[in-house]
Amino acid sequence: MADVKTRDFIAASGAAMEDVNLRRALRQVGGGFNEARLDAIEEVSWEAWEEWREEARRIKIHTLDHLDHYLEMLYEQVTKAGGQVHFARDAEQANAIVSEIAQSRGVKIATKSKSMVSEELDLNRTLEAIGVDVYETDLGEYIIQLAEETPSHLVAPALHKTKEQVSELFHEKLGVPLTDDIEEMARVARETLRSKFLSADLGISGANFLVAETGSLVIITNEGNGRLCTSAPRIHIGITGMEKVIPSLQDLSIFLRLLPRSATGQRLTSYVSMVTGPRRSEDEDGPEEFHLVLVDNGRSRLLADPDLREALYCIRCGACLNICPVYGKIGGHAYGWVYPGPIGAIVSPTLVGLKEAKDLPHASSLCGACREVCPIKINIPRMLLHLRHRLAESPSDTENSSTLTERQAARGYTWLMSNPAALSAAGSVAKLVQKPFSSEGKIDKRVSLPLVSRWTAARDMPTLAGRSFRQIWADELESES
Amino acid sequence: MVEIQNVNSLGIPKDAFLSHVRRSLGRTEGLAPTPPYHRLAENLAVLEGQATEIRQRLEEKSGEVLDRFADTARLRSWNVFRTTSAEDAVGYVVELARNLSVTQAARSEQPVFARLPLDSALQAEGIECVTVAQDEASARDRVRSGIIESGLGITGADYAVAETGSVVVLPRKGLSRLVSLVPPVHLAMVRTEDLVESLDDVFLLRRLEYYRNGEEMGSYLNFITGPSRTADIEMKLVVGVHGPKEVHLVLLG
Repeated sequence: MADVKTRDFIAASGAAMEDVNLRRALRQVGGGFNEARLDAIEEVSWEAWEEWREEARRIKIHTLDHLDHYLEMLYEQVTKAGGQVHFARDAEQANAIVSEIAQSRGVKIATKSKSMVSEELDLNRTLEAIGVDVYETDLGEYIIQLAEETPSHLVAPALHKTKEQVSELFHEKLGVPLTDDIEEMARVARETLRSKFLSADLGISGANFLVAETGSLVIITNEGNGRLCTSAPRIHIGITGMEKVIPSLQDLSIFLRLLPRSATGQRLTSYVSMVTGPRRSEDEDGPEEFHLVLVDNGRSRLLADPDLREALYCIRCGACLNICPVYGKIGGHAYGWVYPGPIGAIVSPTLVGLKEAKDLPHASSLCGACREVCPIKINIPRMLLHLRHRLAESPSDTENSSTLTERQAARGYTWLMSNPAALSAAGSVAKLVQKPFSSEGKIDKRVSLPLVSRWTAARDMPTLAGRSFRQIWADELESES
Repeated sequence: MVEIQNVNSLGIPKDAFLSHVRRSLGRTEGLAPTPPYHRLAENLAVLEGQATEIRQRLEEKSGEVLDRFADTARLRSWNVFRTTSAEDAVGYVVELARNLSVTQAARSEQPVFARLPLDSALQAEGIECVTVAQDEASARDRVRSGIIESGLGITGADYAVAETGSVVVLPRKGLSRLVSLVPPVHLAMVRTEDLVESLDDVFLLRRLEYYRNGEEMGSYLNFITGPSRTADIEMKLVVGVHGPKEVHLVLLG
């Protein structure tokens, strides 16, 4: 499984805020994707958009509630079309399946189109370890593979890189001259990867949707690399999470309307490709073998928790990242695992273990923008609160998000706020105590306040006012009313 | 074709996987949805009825749908040429090939080309046209390299979708997956009878074909909506990454 760095969230997000290039890139994302999304919705009308969202949500609720039924149907249909379905309980099993197929078929070169699940499994490292040359072929994925990094956004994996950085990377790794022309960089990637596509034995893709009715795998792409990966090599492996299944082929129309508009504001991506089994004997081309690897890897924990099940409705459009004020400041890497942003703050802790990722559910202002933009109307803030609640109430010290002192302080606070006399007395004492440490209505930053020091390190702590609201109320306002 | 050693299901057995899913759902036994999912309860007669409605609707307003398709396709960056004359359609292709200075083009074998003297017209210009219609498996490698060396890929359309400005192709015998993908320029020849209004129409008609053909979908289906694109570097749009950078539609009818 991919390295888990979720424990470093606080330090990593602090470092991200200092990164000028990243801040500029994130402003572009916020502006660009969100405006394009709004334009695309206004074109079809908000009423239609709401209807689509409702319908998509109904389909997802129904499918996930009967996931076993639809996975069985999918299995039968893929098998009937001549494909093979493999089930993986965890990342290790999924990697072993792909390795076994690659080794038994003598695979030397593999090309990959974008797949977040393969990032989750760290599949490239597994394949490289058995001597397979793996090439990411989505331009953004190719860039981060060359840079030995991980994606920072669900649909724009290399958005954290400037064109100068990409040019230097291509210069260093591919020996091409430096340039500031983005078209030239895309041309270099096209030429370098074209020969890989045509010589690869194995093409690996993810899946945006799996159609139970017909046993089809659907990928939604723009560059054409997904079509090449699924068409040119002699073996195709589709690898994806088990939650991607939908019942009928006709259900696709609603998702094809929602996903590109939510992701990039496109009315439809350049390509939507649907794979149903391997090539038939009379076909001109296409892979001789088709394998579908269905991965659980912690998803059944989301399924089993009625409070979190709707996280599995996610279609990975990235709209919640683009609108999120927290993601907009820190980017994707700070989240420390494959899935960033608001939805990642729910999915990652459940998949890697809540105690590994205690900070993620707190990385939100609960403003609710993510829920508003979600094409499946996933109630992300509710689930973040649910996880916070679980962390706060956890009997396990390693999982509980607060220290004993914090918990005691919270109890003390509750007591104080429910005892008016004590509150008033405490206020008078605090006003005296704060005096030597305050200037211009703020507590001196050099003072390390207990419990809130992490908060005050980046913000001013205001001093208590001379007269409390309760005093003002009693002296002036009450008589006015 | 090489003899393939069969790898049976790897990983954990299906039944173990599904029973774990079931337990996660709080059940011990499989439970089909009741009532069954509405779309999966539709029989062939229902689908045929809906298909008839689609065709009637299209017949009544084919002009309007054609206009809408052309408009949407232009917005999705297709170069659209409309004509009712087969001669003009061929002329457009020849002129395009000439302007691109290609020496070789690749073409799929589809019904639309039966009444267009395209190959001879291209040959008259000194442009060789590789056709994907080979009965011999041994010819496949030759066709593949022919496509790779071509400057222009020419296909028909199985469907043309007015809602999205897309051309849908179903690779099969005579229709390589690569003709519309590998050459730097793609041209699709669309007939009035290929038109449908919406994504719903396409999927309904595909489902109908699927059930008519004994649950055979065909191995591949592609929606093509404009040129290959990327915005992966600084969100700047670049056309023509791995697929065609330029795409043309000839609307015949």
